Amino acid sequence: MRTFAPLIHGYWYLLRGAGMTLLMAGASVVPATLLGMLFALGQIFGGRISRAAIVTYIFVVRGIPLLVLLTFVYYLLPLTGIDLPPFWGVVLVMACYYAAFMAEVFRAGILSLPQAQWDAARGLGMNRRQMLWIVIFPQAFRLAAPPFVNLCANLIKATSLVSVVGLWELTMASREIVERTLAPFQIFIGAAFLYFCMCFALSRYGKYLEGRVLAGH
Amino acid sequence: MPFDPNFIRRLLPALLEGAEITIELSVLTIAICLVWGLLVALANATRGPLAWLAAAYIQIVRNTPLLIQMYLVYFGLGFAGLPLSGFMCGLLALCLQNGGYVAEIYRGGLQSVSARQYESGRALGMRRWTLYRVVVLPQVIARVIPPLANQGISIIKDTSQVAAIAVMDIMKVAQIWVESSANTYDVFLTVGLIYLSLTTIVSFGARFAERRLAFVA
Repeated sequence: MRTFAPLIHGYWYLLRGAGMTLLMAGASVVPATLLGMLFALGQIFGGRISRAAIVTYIFVVRGIPLLVLLTFVYYLLPLTGIDLPPFWGVVLVMACYYAAFMAEVFRAGILSLPQAQWDAARGLGMNRRQMLWIVIFPQAFRLAAPPFVNLCANLIKATSLVSVVGLWELTMASREIVERTLAPFQIFIGAAFLYFCMCFALSRYGKYLEGRVLAGH
Repeated sequence: MPFDPNFIRRLLPALLEGAEITIELSVLTIAICLVWGLLVALANATRGPLAWLAAAYIQIVRNTPLLIQMYLVYFGLGFAGLPLSGFMCGLLALCLQNGGYVAEIYRGGLQSVSARQYESGRALGMRRWTLYRVVVLPQVIARVIPPLANQGISIIKDTSQVAAIAVMDIMKVAQIWVESSANTYDVFLTVGLIYLSLTTIVSFGARFAERRLAFVA
């Protein structure tokens, strides 16, 4: 029991850190999703130029570590003189980064619908807008839901990186306690447990959705 | 002054030295994970406590951030009286986390071969080894290469996190140069390009491997 005393003393601080992690992930996931959808649609229906721009964007973002981009913005913001609070700077980077992955998820969802769905919608005399909103999107989103949820779990894990550029969340909170108590094993295991609870719940939910998608076919 | 060729000429050797560490870490992690992931996947496919252990391992490493795992290994082992170098700790954490992902990729590949394939092979009078070599493995390899390539890219990007435990990889070198020169644009542009070329090499290599290995008995 004694060995875990630092963890017991610090658990409230860690929980608050976990709350901050969730807040950061939640604030990032919304713009990332919207931007990702926009990219997916632009890539499928857009003209040559917008398609090339989106493909290039996704290629670049997927090839560069998030940590590099976070650090870049961390050093860049003071130089540009933009008065953006660090929290929103981080949310901006996370949103732009994950938008590329979201785009792939949604694109795969839309493209994996059989051609017959498009033909049938056209056969019913729907225009493009009706076709998308009534026939394509509801099915595509259901297909994209499992990888989307997994990506969200991934995003929660990735928020731990912002501690490297000095923002306060679960990883930063655990490092602070470790510096005070010199009990790295106990504290980091506590932090890992909290991350596990958040991500495991999400990935279970993703599995459940996957089962439902498979059952539907 | 951004985009100063003289500055980049001085910066490049230092970054390439960091890139050497990054490449070493990536190659070692990928090589170890290919084997370790297979062992975990095979353990997971057995019945009994071993499978349970493998499943628990996969869930735990996949649902906690790499950074926390690195801290746990780096600070935790140090306190437990087993101090490893930052490089070894980073390698250990990278292999722990990505081994879980690779195991899941193998599992998905094995499961995607339907039971009928085995039955037909047996009906043709194939021995077990022939069945695997001629029927099962080519299909598994074909399905496993694209996700493995993605994992390889993700591993290269993940290696940037060893900067947090003071390993002199590209990321750490970049941080030092930014802080001493304040030439944010040049440093990060070069770093981004180096990472991008490393990840691009992997995805081209994977495409080549796919053409060569898939469906070749």
